[in-house]
Amino acid sequence: MTRRRLLTSLGPPIVFGLAFLGLWEAVVRGFDLKPYFLSAPSKIVEAIGDNVDNVWDATVVSGTNALVGLVIGTLLGVAVSFALMRFRVLDDLVTPLAVALNAIPIFVLVTVFNNMFAITSEVPRRLMVTIVVYFIVLVNVAKGLRQVQPTHLELLRSYAASPTAVLSKARIPNAVPYLFTALRIAAPAAVITAFVAEYFGGSQNGLGYGITSNSAGSKNAVAWAYVVGACTLGLVFFLIAVSLESYINTRRGLGPGGGTT
Amino acid sequence: MSEHRAVVVDGVSKVFNRGTPRQVEALVDIDLTVGGGEFVSLIGPSGCGKSTLLRLVANLIEPSTGEVLVAGKDAPRARLDQEYGMAFQQAGLFDWRSVARNVELPLELKGWDGSRRRRRALEMLQLVKLTDFADHKPWQLSGGMQQRVAIARALAAHPRLLLMDEPFGALDEMTREHMQAELLRICAETETSVVFVTHSIPEAVYLSDRVVVMSPRPGRITEIIDVDLGPSRTVETREDASYFKKITEVREALRAGEDDRETEAVVAEERSSR
Repeated sequence: MTRRRLLTSLGPPIVFGLAFLGLWEAVVRGFDLKPYFLSAPSKIVEAIGDNVDNVWDATVVSGTNALVGLVIGTLLGVAVSFALMRFRVLDDLVTPLAVALNAIPIFVLVTVFNNMFAITSEVPRRLMVTIVVYFIVLVNVAKGLRQVQPTHLELLRSYAASPTAVLSKARIPNAVPYLFTALRIAAPAAVITAFVAEYFGGSQNGLGYGITSNSAGSKNAVAWAYVVGACTLGLVFFLIAVSLESYINTRRGLGPGGGTT
Repeated sequence: MSEHRAVVVDGVSKVFNRGTPRQVEALVDIDLTVGGGEFVSLIGPSGCGKSTLLRLVANLIEPSTGEVLVAGKDAPRARLDQEYGMAFQQAGLFDWRSVARNVELPLELKGWDGSRRRRRALEMLQLVKLTDFADHKPWQLSGGMQQRVAIARALAAHPRLLLMDEPFGALDEMTREHMQAELLRICAETETSVVFVTHSIPEAVYLSDRVVVMSPRPGRITEIIDVDLGPSRTVETREDASYFKKITEVREALRAGEDDRETEAVVAEERSSR
């Protein structure tokens, strides 16, 4: 992309964002809104400056939880989708369940996990993230392994290809874009789950805890500082996943949004 | 025509879903021999079993009765030995492989080493005149070019037999005529026999030494028509009177098959009302 095109595509949203912040600031000052009701952006920036170490530490805690869950969930999801591919019976049992679980907010299970593990442990949160990511990856990768072009299967059969060869020449390469689509969905979900898990108790060190405790203490601007940290973390996860997906799809000649030819 | 017979289909029938309410007699009593270097087309309306017959020859499905020999071997053995190459209506190229690596695929499965594969792939691409596109990805090519890659891939292991299921069905008319001429040239150069499924009468007549006319319910061969237009066919062939005469002959054979079917339907109805 040329510098000019970058400017024309990024320009408008940036201008809009700045205008929005300006309006927010003006409303808070103009109507003299109390800080416990709504903090002005300038106060939030100030709060970030004052608490930069705390916000950073909390970001590392929540970010690590999200990342650990994302990695383990992805590995598990990929492994199990291979097992489903291999054993059809398992597929019939597990897939409908996985699809159903993807449609409900299972992260509320974190309270149960909190009771199962030590109160200061990060395990329940990471476990929760893992489960959320696992089902997203499982459903998508299993689909990618299964939905191979019938022509490809007939062709490989005509070459007398072994089941292993069918897997390595057709099914696995076919599933790769599905994996990256799954990651694009799972990465923000991992971050959200990591925050929300903190709302349900456990150790007092993450971004989610920073938001709830400061809100409860009427330190609104500080709570907002943690919100900014949370947004940034979510964006970073999302951008990395989107870039990976669009890189893979471009190499495959698919549109940036995915799909098959 | 050389002595060896590329394909022998002897008394073959195929019934799908036998013993269930969805039982279909796809093919009944098929006898067909394809000689070495011969080009044979299978033509007929949808549901006449022409693709099924091709898949039986390819051993992608097993016959219910009868025997299929390819290159003098049992069909399953012939498949394991890659005695034939196959091309479908969809080019079926693998998006994630370059054009050359697509052509290499059957050789990879035969366990050839990399440099030998690459050399053969480039040879095949030269045959279909796509050498310049060896390192392109399939989606950067037009439909006709993709189909040529598919033909190069089907011929990569130098099989003596090519099985094609409506390979030009999705192409526009001009590309299609060009591809037909190219296919004839390639087959002449490589001395390959072809079994070619189509539902285009002009295509069948232009390409074939013999046209096998089939009719549905149950699928069977109603007539085999010799097309003696000479070995080298050119653009002029398409405007020749003998070419049109053959087209008429095939069309009438197809229509006769239709009439048979209607008579049969009446007979079947009478039988069931009894």
